[in-house]
Amino acid sequence: MANTRAFIVMLGLLLVALAGFSLFTVAEWEKAIMFRLGEIREADFKPGLHVKIPFINNVRKFDGRLLTQDVEPERFLTVEKKNVIVDSFVMWRIADVKRYYKAVAGDERNARLRIEQVIKDGMRGEFSKRTINEVVSGERDVIMEELTKAANRQAQQIGIEIADVRIKRIDLPAEVSNSVYRRMQAERSRVAKEFRSRGFEESEKIRANADRQRQVLIAEAYREAEQIRGEGDAKAAEIYANAYGKNQEFYAFTRSLKAYQEAFQGGSDVLLLEPDSEFFDYFDRARD
Amino acid sequence: MAWNEPGGGNNKDPWGGRGDQGPPDLDEVVRKMQDKLGGLFGGRKRGGGGGGGAGKAGFAGFGVVAIIVLVVWLFSGIYIVDAGKRGVVLRFGAFTEATMPGPHWHIPYPVEQVEIVDVEQRRFIEIGYRSGSGGQSAVTVPREALMLTQDETIVNIQLAVQYQVEDPRLYLFNVRDPDAVLKQSAESALREVIGKSKMDFVLQEGRAEVVARTKSLMQDILNSYESGLLVSDVNLQDAQPPEEVQGAFSDAIKAREDRVRLKNEAEAYANDVIPKARGTAARQVQEAEGYRESLVAKAEGEASRFTQLLGEYEKAPEVTRKRLYLETMESVMSRTGKVVVDSESTGNLMYLPLDELFKRRVQPPSFSSPDESEASSGESGNDEALRPSRRPREAR
Repeated sequence: MANTRAFIVMLGLLLVALAGFSLFTVAEWEKAIMFRLGEIREADFKPGLHVKIPFINNVRKFDGRLLTQDVEPERFLTVEKKNVIVDSFVMWRIADVKRYYKAVAGDERNARLRIEQVIKDGMRGEFSKRTINEVVSGERDVIMEELTKAANRQAQQIGIEIADVRIKRIDLPAEVSNSVYRRMQAERSRVAKEFRSRGFEESEKIRANADRQRQVLIAEAYREAEQIRGEGDAKAAEIYANAYGKNQEFYAFTRSLKAYQEAFQGGSDVLLLEPDSEFFDYFDRARD
Repeated sequence: MAWNEPGGGNNKDPWGGRGDQGPPDLDEVVRKMQDKLGGLFGGRKRGGGGGGGAGKAGFAGFGVVAIIVLVVWLFSGIYIVDAGKRGVVLRFGAFTEATMPGPHWHIPYPVEQVEIVDVEQRRFIEIGYRSGSGGQSAVTVPREALMLTQDETIVNIQLAVQYQVEDPRLYLFNVRDPDAVLKQSAESALREVIGKSKMDFVLQEGRAEVVARTKSLMQDILNSYESGLLVSDVNLQDAQPPEEVQGAFSDAIKAREDRVRLKNEAEAYANDVIPKARGTAARQVQEAEGYRESLVAKAEGEASRFTQLLGEYEKAPEVTRKRLYLETMESVMSRTGKVVVDSESTGNLMYLPLDELFKRRVQPPSFSSPDESEASSGESGNDEALRPSRRPREAR
């Protein structure tokens, strides 16, 4: 009885062990390949539970998801013989497990090395056909498409599908960057100068206009003032003429007297007189 | 698949009620189960009428252990999906179902496994900078931040991207390390957008558009990879010219300010000058009017005076004339020095020291000429000039 029970237990364990050796799972994200004595038998497994013959069949599983590969930045020459540093990444996945296994012996590092070579070759070709400007802005997507296509052709041979090649950075080498900075500075100082001289222009226009207005205002005022003065002069002359015209001789007389008064104001004048003027009529006569 | 479905008749009732009441007390469960099942087996064996005491106990013990193991195994299939998360159940690695938040059960390992994915958490990445943890200021990463524009200039961009998992299944199965892919795509998209824009556009009016285009391009890239990620928000933290040229840029901005300033100054000048000129002009006109008025008034005054005097003069011309003349001459003579010369009656050369005379008139207090002492006949004041005038006459 005890032996029977032990036997049952042993049998159970054996079954479990057998199941462990003869069953295998393939996850959603995996691609599996089954060998029979080292020879590839099957590579097209759906996700789930699968059966194999223990010890004879051998299974290897690979990551079937899209993999990201950051391609090391590298210098490329453009058509104008300028260097650009390009940083990119590749999205790829295993398309054909059999080929993949054969080509890279199932080692992802090998695959990555191969892909990097393929991409860099492709880029060298694409960049050498284009100018920096085309590379940076105009034909960026075209380059990426071409690269993807070209890379795919080569990658197929190793069972890999290149889903996408994307350029991240396109940089100029340090020495070129510096000259770009200098150009930017020059461009900015041009803008700054333009702003300043525009400002000067506007300022001068406004100031000159103000000065002109001032000059015109003052000149017009002068004109008006002179007119007014002239009117005054004319009016005064008329009044004088009317008054003095009544007796010109008397006017001359009184005006002369007034002029004498005015002219001999200062105490420093000395009059040299002859005693026969009207003033001296009685001067000598009284003494005689 | 409900948690108690494959459990079989025996297990269904006792555990069905307990599962909802929280975590079961395992010790108690095991004890009860031991009692029940132990009794059951034992009863059967006994009823079967065979077996020694030791064998019976051993078999019962084996059964109990097996059942405990089975129960524990079944319990390991309970899992709870928190709010905002999704469970993805895999049977032997193949996708079976996606579960919503709440308690669930799956056939325990190794048959089924569950991956739990957070679909509501906003994850985010930073491009061009790393925000410091714990209040530290952000650090720029020039390698990521500096990029070329269409006009071959370099700008410094800092971008933050928020994203979340849209499709847990794709997120898990389709791309290895989707978060890294997101970062790569973000960089690539951003650089492509910037590379197709001009610098001024990026730095000034085009910020919103750069963000929008980056976001949609990123999403396109991610969709093409079937990554199961959704870009929920893209923020342009900063868009600046690189440090090396900041000076020139800020100078250009200053220049723009200068332009405005110069214009304002000029307008201030105009506002200052023109009213002043208007004032000056008004003053000139007023002065002229003053001149006119005063001249006319003066003329009228003088004319009136003359007319009135003339009236009187005409009544007695001779007397008036004489009086006016003498009064005037008196006033003139009294103020000036005089030399009276009777030139008619002399043929002699007359010496007249005019210089001396002038000197004396100018400085009356200090005269000390010999002429003066000789001619001191008591006349005082400024009439002393009359004295020398005598001498020529007497010398004659």
